[in-house]
Amino acid sequence: MSGFRRRTILKGTLGASFVPLAAPYVSAQGGKPYTGTTINASCFQTTYYEYLKAYFPEFQDKTGIKVNFTMQAFPVYNQRTDLELSTKGSAIDACNITFIYSGRWIGAGWFTPLDTFLKDPKHTPGDWDPDDFVSGAQSQMKNAKGETFAFTHEAGAMLNIASRADLIEKAGLKMPETFDDLIKVCDAIDGKDGVKAFVADKLHHWNWIPYLMGNGGNVFKDPPTNLTPTFASPEGIASADWYANLLMKYGPDGQLSYSDDQAMRAQMSGRANMRTQALTWGVPLVKDPESKVSKTTRFALMPAGPKGNFPGSNSHGLGIPAGSKKKEAAWEFIKWALSKEMISRIVEKHGYPAVCRTSVIKSPKFKEVMTLNGQDVAALYLEVLQLGGKTGYMKYRTVPVYPQIGDKINRAIDKITTKQQAAPEAMKQAQAEAIQDLQKAGFKVDQG
Amino acid sequence: MSSSLQRRFFIFCVAPSLAVLAIITLLPSLYLLVTSFTPLNLTRPETAWDFSDPLISYRQLLTDDRLGNSIWVQIKLSFWTVTLQLAIGVALALLLNIKSRLLEALRTVYLIPMVLPPIVVAIIWKVIYTPDISPMHGIFRSLGWNVPALITNPHWALTSIIIADTWEWFPFTMLMVLAALQMLPQELIDAAKVDGASPWQLTRHVTLPFIQGVLLVAGLFRLIDSIKAFPLIYILTDGGPGSLTEVTNYYSFLQAFNFSYLGFSSAITVVLLAATIVLSWVIIRAVGWGLRVD
Repeated sequence: MSGFRRRTILKGTLGASFVPLAAPYVSAQGGKPYTGTTINASCFQTTYYEYLKAYFPEFQDKTGIKVNFTMQAFPVYNQRTDLELSTKGSAIDACNITFIYSGRWIGAGWFTPLDTFLKDPKHTPGDWDPDDFVSGAQSQMKNAKGETFAFTHEAGAMLNIASRADLIEKAGLKMPETFDDLIKVCDAIDGKDGVKAFVADKLHHWNWIPYLMGNGGNVFKDPPTNLTPTFASPEGIASADWYANLLMKYGPDGQLSYSDDQAMRAQMSGRANMRTQALTWGVPLVKDPESKVSKTTRFALMPAGPKGNFPGSNSHGLGIPAGSKKKEAAWEFIKWALSKEMISRIVEKHGYPAVCRTSVIKSPKFKEVMTLNGQDVAALYLEVLQLGGKTGYMKYRTVPVYPQIGDKINRAIDKITTKQQAAPEAMKQAQAEAIQDLQKAGFKVDQG
Repeated sequence: MSSSLQRRFFIFCVAPSLAVLAIITLLPSLYLLVTSFTPLNLTRPETAWDFSDPLISYRQLLTDDRLGNSIWVQIKLSFWTVTLQLAIGVALALLLNIKSRLLEALRTVYLIPMVLPPIVVAIIWKVIYTPDISPMHGIFRSLGWNVPALITNPHWALTSIIIADTWEWFPFTMLMVLAALQMLPQELIDAAKVDGASPWQLTRHVTLPFIQGVLLVAGLFRLIDSIKAFPLIYILTDGGPGSLTEVTNYYSFLQAFNFSYLGFSSAITVVLLAATIVLSWVIIRAVGWGLRVD
């Protein structure tokens, strides 16, 4: 005990002896200990940082840190960052952790745990409130030990977005609440006014999964611990067949090549009606000046299947690469960029919809911004995010091998939709390829 | 100057170029070869220099059905694009090999697809193939023909890539053949005409043998380029629907940059490189360089 005390006193004395050395440095910079520091930050193209860029001079005035922020198209950003992170180089000091890569990037040790900064009041004041971030969104930014590697700046919550809800009402129906309802509504409105009833983009590994889960299936046996693929189960095959039929029968020709944006444009121009997709892709239908459906767009929860409702939710966060040599400055940037004040300002000034801080989501301003055609869409948004956090059903998507497993699912759904293969054949082949891939990546899968 | 001194001087002169060439081309190829003997996975740094099972990636190639499919797609794509580009290129070159101001202007117009950046070409064809915004589909609709979206139709997806690739690259063959035709000695043609050769016989027995070497070079260039096909597939079909337009090069790209399997992707690339070299050699041996007029 006495030894401990002696060591503590010695440590304290040693630490105290450095205080006079540090103090003049800080005061000499006028309270800006980082003057002259430049950090490099990056993200895929997203409106949040487009808006935030205008405020960077304020951050530099406050801290002395200059931020070089670059943005690239989503796939380009992911590929470049994947390669850059794998070198553990110091080229990037703060960057976005993309949802589907979160398991891979965090699991490989390519990011810095932020808990040290969070626990230290010198680095993080209490009112910054890390618990204010929605748990469902934030869960993707943690590892199995519960360490935090990023804070979320953008969340996606899957809703059913109808661009021509008037056609549904005219048919004497309401927004579908179940999968059966969805087909009933599609049957009633398909082709009316030249509008196809449903549209989806080509990322089936995101769009189809809620239908798979709603039918009682899953992508893996027990993610993230047991990654044995299970999407070719009887439920999976039936669901894939059902979904392919939905696309084939009620979707516009050529939609298998649609990007997110193309699918949104199909709705915006009034060529396609319903789409089950993240809210971010639905807001422009109401707010974009080019939209022809701004008055007829309505939002609802994703339809539920016999086994429940599993709307997709995702989130992208800002973290610090492990190789960064300016981690403290990078944390200053993250703290500022994702503070309650800054997010509130972006919401107020620009109407940013994909917020991840609960206090902002519940604020009157956000509610006002997200009241679309008289509907409280903010409440739907929060409900979906919390649903994802409660049971953790979105875990399947953050495992390190999801990009390659998702690719198998995409191609299988493509094959069923274009009648190249029947559902059982396509799904079984995709699952066999997925097992081969998992083994290649060094994962163990259950036999039989 | 003695011959050995001359030889040494020659080596001294070319050595810097050879050194630069070695650094630029041989070293990366060597690294590719070395990597193919490891299970390198970007998310598992310990796999970088793991030579414990050097043939693992090559064994995986043998059991990978999707790779087999990609090779078959590659063969179909290469065969049709090279054949069409040579045929259209030669035909147009023969037509344009006439002295006329109009045809000279047309030559320039025909070169446009080739000089456009490949991504721009891909975007042009994306517009053409997307029914909602396509002028082609608009015309068909106005004629009452319901043409399906070609790039997502399993019967048309590969054909639509072949059409776009042919449009982009036939000018290359045309340009090379046209240049060769303008070197064709007038005496050969005159002599054939004196012997009573018909236009067809003139083309068959004089022109084609004369341009055979150029055709071979153009064909080889196009064959090698077709094996490197990427932007059109990336933008138009992403290898789909399913894997119908997924060529080996694209499959290798997916393995390396979407899935991080660099070792496996390197093995595919090594095999692809070897196949290209062997194929080129076989073609050169079989066809020969053609008639030489000094």
